[in-house]
Amino acid sequence: MAPSAASDSPTTPDNAERNLQPFFVLHKASLRSSDRKSTVKTSTKARTRRRIDLTPTSEQSEAAFAGEHYDDHLRTETFNRIWSKIESTIKDVVRNINADVFNDIHCWVQESFHAIRSCGMPDRAKATPSYPIVMDPLSKQLCTGLVFTKNMEFVDDLLTFEDLGLHLRSHGCHVANLSSFDFSAKNGIAGCLRGLLRQFLMVGLDVADMSILASWYIEQGNYNNPMVVIIDDMERCCGSVLADFILMLSEWVVKIPIILIIGVATTVDALRSILPSNALKYLSSRKFVLGSPAERMDAIIEAVLVKQCSGFSVGHKVAIFLRNYFIRQDGTLTSFVRALKIAIVQHISMEPLSFILGGLFNEDSQDLLSEGLPEMFFKQAFDLPSCRRNELAEPNGDILVHGLFDLKRLQKSWSSVLMCLYEAGKSRKITMLDLYCEALDPHLGLEIDVRMSSSDHHVHGRLHNCGFIPQVIRMVRDLSAVPLCQLLNSWEKHTEGIVEIHVKVRELQSLLKFEEDKGLKQDSTDISRRQKTRRYLNIEKDAKALNEKAAALINCMVKNYMMPIESIPFHEIICFKNVDKLQAALIGDPRRTIQVDLLEFQKFLKCSCCSKSGNIPFPSMHDTSIMYILAQEHGDLINLHDWYQSFKTTVLHPRIKGKHRSKQSPSPKKRKDAKESQNKSEAFVQARFCSAVTELQITGLLRMPSKRRPDYVQRVAFGL
Amino acid sequence: MEANDVDDEEFGFSRNYFLAKELGSSGKKSTHKLSDINLVDEQELREATAKIEPKHESEIASLLNNYKSLYSKWAFELRCGFGLLMYGFGSKKALIEDFASTELIECGVVVINGYLHSINLKQVMIVLAELLWDQLKTQRTPSGNLSKVQQPFNSRSIDDLLSFLDGPQVAGDECFVCVVVHNIDGPGLRDSDTQQYLARIAACSHIRIVASIDNVNAPLLWDKKMVHTQFNWCWYHVPTFAPYKVEGIFYPLILAHGGTTQSVKTASIVLQSLTPNAQSVFKVLAEHQLAHPDEEGMPINTLYTICRERFLVSSQVTLNSHLTEFKDHELVKTRRHSDGQDCLYIPLTTDALEKLVLDISQ
Repeated sequence: MAPSAASDSPTTPDNAERNLQPFFVLHKASLRSSDRKSTVKTSTKARTRRRIDLTPTSEQSEAAFAGEHYDDHLRTETFNRIWSKIESTIKDVVRNINADVFNDIHCWVQESFHAIRSCGMPDRAKATPSYPIVMDPLSKQLCTGLVFTKNMEFVDDLLTFEDLGLHLRSHGCHVANLSSFDFSAKNGIAGCLRGLLRQFLMVGLDVADMSILASWYIEQGNYNNPMVVIIDDMERCCGSVLADFILMLSEWVVKIPIILIIGVATTVDALRSILPSNALKYLSSRKFVLGSPAERMDAIIEAVLVKQCSGFSVGHKVAIFLRNYFIRQDGTLTSFVRALKIAIVQHISMEPLSFILGGLFNEDSQDLLSEGLPEMFFKQAFDLPSCRRNELAEPNGDILVHGLFDLKRLQKSWSSVLMCLYEAGKSRKITMLDLYCEALDPHLGLEIDVRMSSSDHHVHGRLHNCGFIPQVIRMVRDLSAVPLCQLLNSWEKHTEGIVEIHVKVRELQSLLKFEEDKGLKQDSTDISRRQKTRRYLNIEKDAKALNEKAAALINCMVKNYMMPIESIPFHEIICFKNVDKLQAALIGDPRRTIQVDLLEFQKFLKCSCCSKSGNIPFPSMHDTSIMYILAQEHGDLINLHDWYQSFKTTVLHPRIKGKHRSKQSPSPKKRKDAKESQNKSEAFVQARFCSAVTELQITGLLRMPSKRRPDYVQRVAFGL
Repeated sequence: MEANDVDDEEFGFSRNYFLAKELGSSGKKSTHKLSDINLVDEQELREATAKIEPKHESEIASLLNNYKSLYSKWAFELRCGFGLLMYGFGSKKALIEDFASTELIECGVVVINGYLHSINLKQVMIVLAELLWDQLKTQRTPSGNLSKVQQPFNSRSIDDLLSFLDGPQVAGDECFVCVVVHNIDGPGLRDSDTQQYLARIAACSHIRIVASIDNVNAPLLWDKKMVHTQFNWCWYHVPTFAPYKVEGIFYPLILAHGGTTQSVKTASIVLQSLTPNAQSVFKVLAEHQLAHPDEEGMPINTLYTICRERFLVSSQVTLNSHLTEFKDHELVKTRRHSDGQDCLYIPLTTDALEKLVLDISQ
């Protein structure tokens, strides 16, 4: 279909028919273009990966240079590379966090399985009758693992339970993941049984019967492995269906050793309130606890943004936005990860040079960059605000390459220092998220630059005021010997990239060791008590001095090695800063914006006719806008009659000038026509009123008249 | 400071609400009636509605034209796995369809008109699966990769269809079918089951979704799981100010007289699309109501007995399926009889009902 035909769709007869069909196929995939696509693909594939990154063919780079939109494939490839790296990093992080709990769960599953099996081996003859064999009630106990997620937001835990399923499957268990969707009152017990069979037997069956499952379990020779059913969000399940399910499983547990794992977001009380006691008594439960969302958040920030697995980073404002979004608005990791993904997409589609990101942080970037970038990118790169600000010399390849290396190096040391700070703040529960946001503040850098010239004392005075970083530095000063030693050990690990600092950390470590040895020696020699206390005092004093040194060291690290990314030249290539774009894409605010559209439509239409009128309804405005502006003058109820009258006066007002709607009365036969046209215009005004009301109804800004109030509509939104 | 902003905003909200409430109840509540307006005949009103001159046509056209520069960005976001959600005042139907037919030519596109009342999502899924099947056949070498699928799609269950749509993607050679949903918050899609299914469709690996919303409260349809993991929306504010012509077609005109003629018309259209038996069942109910205008309605059992006697239904199940159909189209409602029994009635006046019976008897 031609695009022009689509743009005026309601008029053509073909479209009129389509508009009334519930659904239709707009077009099928065009073969020709998919051919074209595949040829492009093969040609890109033929080239080596890094060639795509850094030396695209001339047409490609020209397209990039032209600005508008550079090669789609390059963009997609850059995105895929960055995102797959980040995604796998996040997965690893989450898996590591959960590893211990998962192992515990697995051990428990095995234990319970053996316990069930010790009650008796199922055999064909016993398993095939459709009714279960009655055993003593004790053997009807259903082993149940309650996994406390410590998180009301079950979205974050969907993945956890999926991972748990995979983990158990990899250890030989048969696993079915059910969700509250399967336990709805509408589908009843048959719904969850069907889901269960579907997942275990891998076929969809119309008949839902446990005996099918039982015979599958026997026949397939599956019976050496436990069957695990995971329900990820117990609180959202329909209680009666879940209770029925548990009762049914408990009847069958002798023949099918099913082990339940239930995700609980709140407390164990929730289980009691949802399930009746006759179901509860069959559960023999065991508790497991997952890590809290804040812990996971810190781990993800550390792996993805601080250690920069992909090279992508965000500016201070974006970081603050992400933090507030996490803490105040949404509170889910999932949304945080999604926001990050949107940020990457926005960055790649806005920053033409972002494709460098794909290659810059690979291991072989060294020789890549030394090969040099095509010249057309120089101008673009040197036009970046961060470059102009620093007034670098004339653009040439070396400067760009060096700039990029510096960027990478400075980023590395920045993240090392941040890690050191995080280690120091851990004991007082200062989160990575807070430190990270503060460390990104570009003004932090500026202040430090200023301070470098002033005296040390002055610095301390300034640093004391606020913020997490100064707080951490103060904490280092107060640490006792053992934690200090641990801290220094962790610092030693984190500062491996920065030689000068690494040496200093080592020095401190040896000093500490010396002190300790001294202390030990003094302890071992036999001396009088008074001497001992004095020496202790001395030791304490020495230790204090050591703390001071450590604090000074971290202070110096922050001052000299922690350059926020936004003050480094060329940072725009790898750093996303446009917080407005991110916010707009992430959180739509239809309630507010649709009202703004109506009230301030001139902003979008930029018409000349209504611009001067301000917020006073004007006949040339959109009918719906006029109506909504008029509606603002009413209370929560709008009298239809009054509304109509004021609409009519607004719309017809300039007719006195004889300008408006002259088309309707062109004939000279005045009097008769005048009446007719009045009628007609009445009809038109009413029609316009009606369609404006309909449009407001579609936007949901009005509630229609009810039987009780036939002459009133109700306003739904008050203020923006 | 930001915290203060938020608080201020919230304070503003509540203050506005109470101000509006106060304004409403402060005594000078207008007592004018709608009937005080010299209302024109509905026929005339409808004709006039069809002839309304659009305003700002050139500005709207240039606005739509400006959005074209975003098309490649949108397509990129779709490729990255996001769904696009368009909002803002004005019909976005033409805009989205134009985008789909210029930028998404490499994949099949199915359009769902959510502003209509009866949408069968399973049918949509079948069409999606067929499109995808065609695409996979042409894009891949005819290896044994796909041979497992022999069963025709229209006899498969929803779960099967979803798992076919959610099949594994071949890396580097992604294959999508795009679903365009106009008014995903529309009356036909508004219930939570449908939204759950839409979310499950959107989450499939071979599906990309582009949707539009118009209602200010549309986000309330989705929980966090749907928003973050299934639809994965990327929001775009694209007000078009284009008139809601098609979208508004099924809304009754507020100034039309009580909507009698309108409802008779729609009711007879609906009834004529049903089977003769269903029509007869409706007639039984209508005749009863006309014969006993003062009663609250007809008990289900009585209706069943009469229908069975006349061989209109064979079982309670068939009768119930007819009744469900009627209820969905608001042809029939239930209310409690004074003796506690549920009974059925047709929410029309006697005149309207007579006209309707006449209409369908022709």
